Amino acid sequence: MTGPVPGAAKASVFPRRRASFEESVRRRTLGNGARLFVLENRFNPTVAVSGSMNGGSLFAPPDRRLLASVTAGELAKGTSRSTKLEIAEELESRGASLSFSAGGGDPVGVDIAAASLSRDVEVLLDVLAEVLLSPRFPEEELEKERKRLVGVLREQQDETSVRAFEAAYRRIYPPGHPFYRRPVEERIAAVESVSRDELVRFYEERYGAGTLLLVLVGDVDSGKMLDGLERRLGSWRLGPAAEIPKPDPVPAAPGSESIRMPDKASADVVLAQPSDLARLDPEYVACILANSALGQSSLTSRLGVRVRDTEGLTYGIHSGFAATHLAGPFSVSLTVKPESRDAAVAATLEEIVRFRREGMTPKELADEQSSHVGRFKVDLASNGGIAHAIDAAVYYGLGVSYLDEYPSLVGAVTREEADAAFAKRVDPDRFTIVSAGSFDA
Amino acid sequence: METRVESRPAEVPLSENGVSDALPGHPDFDFVREKAGIREFRLRSNGLQTLLLSNDVAPVATFAVVYRVGSRNEAVGHTGATHLLEHLMFKGTPEFDREKGTAIAAVLEALGARFNATTWFDRTNYYETVPSDSIETAVRIEASRMRGALLRDSDRVPEMTVVRNEYERGENSPFQVLYKDTFATAFREHPYHHPTIGWRTDIESVSTHRLKEFYDVFYHPNNATAILIGDFEEREALATVARHFGLIPASARPIPPVYTVEPPQEGERRFVVRRTAQIAWLALSWRTVEARHPDTAALAVLGNILGVGLTARLHLALVEESLALSVTVVPWQLRDPALFSIFAPVRPGVLPGDVEARIRREVARVVSEGITEEEAQKARTQIEAEVIFDRDSTDQVAASLSQAIAVADWDWYADYPDLVASVTAADVRRVAASYFRDDGLTTGLYLPKEPPAA
Repeated sequence: MTGPVPGAAKASVFPRRRASFEESVRRRTLGNGARLFVLENRFNPTVAVSGSMNGGSLFAPPDRRLLASVTAGELAKGTSRSTKLEIAEELESRGASLSFSAGGGDPVGVDIAAASLSRDVEVLLDVLAEVLLSPRFPEEELEKERKRLVGVLREQQDETSVRAFEAAYRRIYPPGHPFYRRPVEERIAAVESVSRDELVRFYEERYGAGTLLLVLVGDVDSGKMLDGLERRLGSWRLGPAAEIPKPDPVPAAPGSESIRMPDKASADVVLAQPSDLARLDPEYVACILANSALGQSSLTSRLGVRVRDTEGLTYGIHSGFAATHLAGPFSVSLTVKPESRDAAVAATLEEIVRFRREGMTPKELADEQSSHVGRFKVDLASNGGIAHAIDAAVYYGLGVSYLDEYPSLVGAVTREEADAAFAKRVDPDRFTIVSAGSFDA
Repeated sequence: METRVESRPAEVPLSENGVSDALPGHPDFDFVREKAGIREFRLRSNGLQTLLLSNDVAPVATFAVVYRVGSRNEAVGHTGATHLLEHLMFKGTPEFDREKGTAIAAVLEALGARFNATTWFDRTNYYETVPSDSIETAVRIEASRMRGALLRDSDRVPEMTVVRNEYERGENSPFQVLYKDTFATAFREHPYHHPTIGWRTDIESVSTHRLKEFYDVFYHPNNATAILIGDFEEREALATVARHFGLIPASARPIPPVYTVEPPQEGERRFVVRRTAQIAWLALSWRTVEARHPDTAALAVLGNILGVGLTARLHLALVEESLALSVTVVPWQLRDPALFSIFAPVRPGVLPGDVEARIRREVARVVSEGITEEEAQKARTQIEAEVIFDRDSTDQVAASLSQAIAVADWDWYADYPDLVASVTAADVRRVAASYFRDDGLTTGLYLPKEPPAA
């Protein structure tokens, strides 16, 4: 237990010079392409790991998208050396954690997340490397997972938000597109038929050091960590190239759908349309500043002020672009009492029309800029937060220095740029509107 | 819900007057004590308890004010009042007013603050994590709404439907329905009977006047604790708190205590909720003790042994055996005697009764056979690690500390690691035998109206 000794360092405070991330993050690229980043942060005896690899659903056949999430989920279910429970025991007996996941909003990447006390970091890295390099995908574990996943898919179908989002994505993207959501019965059939051979093949084809990126932040010696990671990962195969095939742009398909679900006190509404905004778009920062003013916060954004604060129609309303390596949809989601749906949708659309017509006020832009800069600082206040931010910056090819440059990038956006970037991409007449809940008609 | 606690750095040597030599204090405050790096002060003018914990991990700080008021202090007719006030206290004060374009949320949002407020059985917690050059704004906001909330009817009317939608969202969740009905069934007399969000018709009908009365009874410096965690200079921080809170007087009347005690349960209770759904859920909950009770740490260790991780006993028995989709174990830690709960969504095609039988068998096995020393060691280490992970960010520490203050006092937070470290395998078996008795059990079933698709 070596928490900060209170008082000792604080007797007098001088403004600390905080070194830039570019200066303080140590890095190494291995012969096989794996990229490693370590930042020493000695305040607390913990270490956080964040990483990624291009093994997402985009790289699975359109009718077998689930291979990506199942492969990631089954990695730690047994290796050439250890059983699932032996792996779990190694971690859990130390209060450590390790997870691999694919899915969510990013069709390209597999997310790696791990944490331990720094005294256990060697064990954590041993397990991470063992699981990554020598998974066995035992059939008996896959069988248990098939059963569990079918149940989880059914459980999700009881959720109004899941039903609304899935239907919206199914309407705006064509079958085969990475954002298309197949009907649940088709996905259940896919889960029931997924084979061990498919997982092994997907793993062998898609996993490799060439796109692997690992970031460690915490109470560790950076040189020792880089050497240790190189020793563990240096001999791994190169794997596939980093190329990311981009799907063709999709035209909007305006329309609406109402999904009736009995016994739901609250309904979910989703308004969505395809967008061409990807993470590396030069207008990305301008778009997210505009979106923040429109709908990032239920309390302070325009949609929140109108639909929640003034009219009391919702507890939560959010809008956002799903921008990753691929351009995802722009969507607005809200929950309502079923009887309030139409009024809430009308108010939402009216605000979007007004926002697009009038743009942001100078105060809104200034507030959003200071908000993004401040929030960025607040989010970098933990080992996990820093590790995740470095991982994301490198994953998108922006580089570690992006963390240092972000405040000035935000500050440089003008109102004209933000308004134009947003108006170009969001058309209030082109929404697909899906609601799920206990509606009378 | 879950209380986490802090690691134990070495105590700072104190000089004869009890004040650490290393740090300066402030003349408007009495220094009270120091433990685990936390320094307690009391504002002389009104008794406001103030806790400081320095953490230089980043140039940010979390400021929080915990009020010792929650749904435990409510009664029928104004259930949900604490939570409604939580919402209304964002609406307007003389200095920060949405009607003047200076809403609290807007001011905080522009700073990039991570902020919110949460209401629970025993407390309400208002907090903001801000860049450390904005600590004063956070302190001003909290001081302003401690006694200055305007609580206008024009704020309450639209906000009532916002809160009602929050209630409705909760009703969509089988887990929340089961936990609310579990407390409503297990507690008949004690106010843990009613949920923090309140009963629907109380949310809809309680008057602004009644909320104001409630506010005037409970929201005072002598019923609150101010907490500052992060990157700050102590004397300056205390001066800031004194500047903004110092002129608020202590309450004229004492804060009314809760004296209702839940009598012993004299037999198993069961309830069933039937709704259109694909998945059945069940919840088993046994009456236990208050957080301050000496058995709390052993119950926490037992909770980890049963429910945390793939190697936990109930995970092995239920999820590994394909009976349940997951399992959640909650050893509730509250100010008054609470519950030890186990929740599980049943895998389609499995009978809920089979899952219930298996849970009861596993629980009985702890009583009859005990646990291994390895299991005890693993659980103790997990809790120790959780406590240390908390220190990674100021808002996690603030949340844990707030919850400790609500259910016991802040020193409980400081002592908790030692309490957990001293739990033995024999202790765990003993508490299992004491509390896993059918007479104290409430079982809840959430069943699909139609047979679930297999």
